[in-house]
Amino acid sequence: MRWQRVRILKSVQTKVCVDGSLMKEYVLDEPLTGEFLKFLEKFGTVRSLEQLKKPYFSFEKEQFISIKGFVGDCNVEVRYKKECQDLVADYFHLLLFYEREGEPGIVKLKGIEESIRDKMKVRMGSSDGNSR
Amino acid sequence: MNPEPQEGQSPLIYLNNAATSWPKPPEVLQEVTDCLRQSLHEPGRTTGNGSMDYPSSAREALAAFFHVGPPEHFVFTQNATDALNLLIHGFAKKAGVPFHAITTDLEHNSVLRPLTTLEEEGAITLSIVPFTDNTVSLAAIKKTVSPETRLVVMTHGSNVLGSVQDIKLIAEYLHANDIFFIVDGAQTAGHIPVDLADIPVGAFVFTGHKALFGIPGIGGFFIPEPDAIVITRQGGTGTDSRELTHPFEMPMRFEAGTHNYPGIASLYAGIRFINTVGLGEIERTGKDRTNQFIRELKRTPGITTYNENPDLPVVSFDIAGIDNHEVGFILARAYNIIMRTGLHCAPLVHERIDGGKGCVRASFSYFTTNEEIETATAAIREVAESADSQVRSD
Repeated sequence: MRWQRVRILKSVQTKVCVDGSLMKEYVLDEPLTGEFLKFLEKFGTVRSLEQLKKPYFSFEKEQFISIKGFVGDCNVEVRYKKECQDLVADYFHLLLFYEREGEPGIVKLKGIEESIRDKMKVRMGSSDGNSR
Repeated sequence: MNPEPQEGQSPLIYLNNAATSWPKPPEVLQEVTDCLRQSLHEPGRTTGNGSMDYPSSAREALAAFFHVGPPEHFVFTQNATDALNLLIHGFAKKAGVPFHAITTDLEHNSVLRPLTTLEEEGAITLSIVPFTDNTVSLAAIKKTVSPETRLVVMTHGSNVLGSVQDIKLIAEYLHANDIFFIVDGAQTAGHIPVDLADIPVGAFVFTGHKALFGIPGIGGFFIPEPDAIVITRQGGTGTDSRELTHPFEMPMRFEAGTHNYPGIASLYAGIRFINTVGLGEIERTGKDRTNQFIRELKRTPGITTYNENPDLPVVSFDIAGIDNHEVGFILARAYNIIMRTGLHCAPLVHERIDGGKGCVRASFSYFTTNEEIETATAAIREVAESADSQVRSD
């Protein structure tokens, strides 16, 4: 188990052209790894395109965030879903924080996710939860 | 001219010229530097002389470029959006009572948003004419005109489809029917000849930072009959300063405050550059690059091109199995190729062509090379093939 967590060195904030949702570009202190993608798979859909100049990946978690980046790169783009932007504002930070904890980190983050979903349900006035 | 790439990075290929052209001709950069090096010559306001009078020189260059005068009827604004706001709101204020206005679904938000604002305020009723085969015809406009129609605002060239409207035909009809016609020439000025002596527009809007090779922050409009518009800005002009009301003389009627001198200098030098190269040569180069790009895209399975015969050097496309934002992200970050993705501030066009999702747009300039098109289309092919193999493996 590695205890050194990935840190964010810099972030640039903008808004998505189509719907005005929040987008942040982060510069990390170390490159994204295949291990991080495996961790992401526990929480949403990861798609990889490996036959490109750089191995591209995207992560999609409905109602939470989407991530775009390249394995081996320190830059990553994160889009926050508009409906509950404030509730998921820390989600990417949580992914970075819990990644290095292995299985216990997955359990803890799943728990946090549930509490975020409960708040989403209250806000959206729906009993409909959310799949990954 | 491109900046030196960082270690391991490919040279930058910039294909976002419909947003802002880059690189700028060296003459433009030099003129901006010269402008900033000298003290400003503001006729009527400063005692100095001997410096270059950029506003007057640029107005004369614009008048010659668009074959129309007098030069004083060319008004400087921040950009095309600024000019359109000034004209649209100024026309509505002049009308004083609600009227019917027409626009098209090819428009940029610089037209749609001011008109929608007026509609929400009850100042106008608004009709939006749909395009057919990527253009808006006179017949479609005629069908929408009613006795209450006072204003038509329309793009000359679509920033998504690269299609040019027959503004001469439309202008003649509207002029004959006493309907004020504002033409948004942001995408055409500098790409194709625009002979305003032959087109009876109410106003023609241009911007400096696209095909006229100026820097961002400068644009303007030509208006033959300035009384059609009520001014919405007042301030210092360096003339009639004893009067507390704003002067009516052109062009200061529409220009309050200190000019954007570096911007005007860049526009002046940009037009000189175009005149030196020749607009015909620029147009021909743009067509060659566009045709080459489309030819290459057609060879690649999984690509939908939304405009296979554009009049302007703009190509909009999508790759099957991958979102347009992802395509843009990959091309920029992995290949150092800059295009534009999303709605291009023209949401109604995208409702028609891609269901409102947006697409990828490549747009070229006189400085775009054959080699850059080859490299860019090869990269697009790699993305398309990779997306295709990923879809197959799912």
